Amino acid sequence: MTDTATQVAALAVEDIVAGYGGGPVLDGVSISARPGTITAVLGANGAGKTTLLRAISGFVRPRRGRVLVGGTDLARRHPEDIARAGVAHVPEGQGVITELTVEENLRVGALATRDRAGRAAALADAYARFPMLAERRRRAAATLSGGERQILVIARALMAAPRVLLLDEPSLGLAPRMVAQVMDLVRQLRDESGLTVLLVEQNARSALGIADTGLVLNLGKVVAQDAAASLAGDVGLRRHYLGF
Amino acid sequence: MQEFIEFGLGGIGIGMIYAAIALSLVLIWRGTRVLNYSQGGMAMFTTYVAWLVISHTGNYWLGFVLALASGLVLGAILERTVVRPTVGKSPLNSVIVTIGLLIFLEGLAGIIYGGQYRSFPAAYSIHGLRIGSFSLGISPNDLFTAAAVLAAALALALVFRYTTVGLRLRATAFDSGVARLLGIRIGRVLTLGWALAGLFGALAGVLVTPSTFLYPNSMDSIFVLGFTAAVIGGLDSPVGAVVGGVLLGVVLSYAGGYLGNDLVLVYGLVVLALVLMVRPSGLFSSATARRV
Repeated sequence: MTDTATQVAALAVEDIVAGYGGGPVLDGVSISARPGTITAVLGANGAGKTTLLRAISGFVRPRRGRVLVGGTDLARRHPEDIARAGVAHVPEGQGVITELTVEENLRVGALATRDRAGRAAALADAYARFPMLAERRRRAAATLSGGERQILVIARALMAAPRVLLLDEPSLGLAPRMVAQVMDLVRQLRDESGLTVLLVEQNARSALGIADTGLVLNLGKVVAQDAAASLAGDVGLRRHYLGF
Repeated sequence: MQEFIEFGLGGIGIGMIYAAIALSLVLIWRGTRVLNYSQGGMAMFTTYVAWLVISHTGNYWLGFVLALASGLVLGAILERTVVRPTVGKSPLNSVIVTIGLLIFLEGLAGIIYGGQYRSFPAAYSIHGLRIGSFSLGISPNDLFTAAAVLAAALALALVFRYTTVGLRLRATAFDSGVARLLGIRIGRVLTLGWALAGLFGALAGVLVTPSTFLYPNSMDSIFVLGFTAAVIGGLDSPVGAVVGGVLLGVVLSYAGGYLGNDLVLVYGLVVLALVLMVRPSGLFSSATARRV
């Protein structure tokens, strides 16, 4: 890693307070992610992990705080504008548009952000990187297996050439072999494209296996933030918050 | 024998009108997941626009084109003002809003134009075609109607399937949240969907009003049958809308002709029930469940 002091954070969340009416789900959360890193966001159910991603991508309006992408504050903007600013959010449950084919799903990913030439290039890139999708391009997205769908939605998110990728529980419902494949893919994306990834995961062990840094949320606050290796090595922390 | 052919062809003719209404309903459903109960009212309103233009200028085609244009505008305005707030809320909200819109449009037309029945010209001759002394039961105007509706259905199917606009419409209808995450400005997509539906409704209006006469409630029963045709065909299929319309038109024509015309709407209900028993989501639908 290069000298951290001279790098502007690709993604910085400053003191976010956000919720769904009633009490706040996120109660003063701050994160800083350097470009080209994977940050694992861990914690029990209800800790606020998904809300954090939604606060960044615009589906939840932070009551306080800033969301800085490449130095620009995007908090409180519309989700579609945040997406166009280079933030790709792959939601929990994947969000595959089952009514469309595989290729149509990919094409939708590029609609808002790229011109016609860019779209064609993005599609070619996606098929080169994911031959499995190329083989299934004309099939209805509904016919894909869970693991294939997860690859599809990640590929779709990449069609917009994002700077920041938010992944919510990509391993959910997948067999262990597929989980390993997806984690491998995310690691490759960081290594090859310098993408900045925020990875929310219940499967803390897999997430910490590929992450550079990790943070643990509990009841809307950050209770631990450190290099991934240190978190993985902290047995007490693991047992208390992460389940392994 | 002559009756048989007359009923059949006549049924296809009126079936095309149901198909036109069904198409606009499919468009709004497929593009916005709203069932537009005011579709008939919108069609009636734009037909009044055509009538105004025609009675002042004497030019039928000018009225025709301006009716279609006003359909686009009316659809866009209604979406932006009245329908938009219902997005993302319970389906019941959009049902109530569109029914309210229907009442409003009919009332407004009554205030502006009065409730009397007015005659409305057809594009072409409405005299039945004959082969020798054999009456076919359809007229040149019926042929024009069928051609216009088929062309519109084809255009719609092509737009959905092959254009980026169609892709946006389908993605937004399927899941507006996912669409927004992908950067799609769903507001504009919704407005476009309604504008196009206004266009199709306007087309149905000018095609059918010559036979129903023009008055504030003129599109009510047509709408019910068009809605039935849309459901029969599967609410998300333009092909289904046309097939459903023609099927319904033909069945009602035969039933009305041989069994008596008083119970036409009941026959329609029977057809609907039979189709839904066999294929609950409609003949051509690819969807599974539906809430409204």
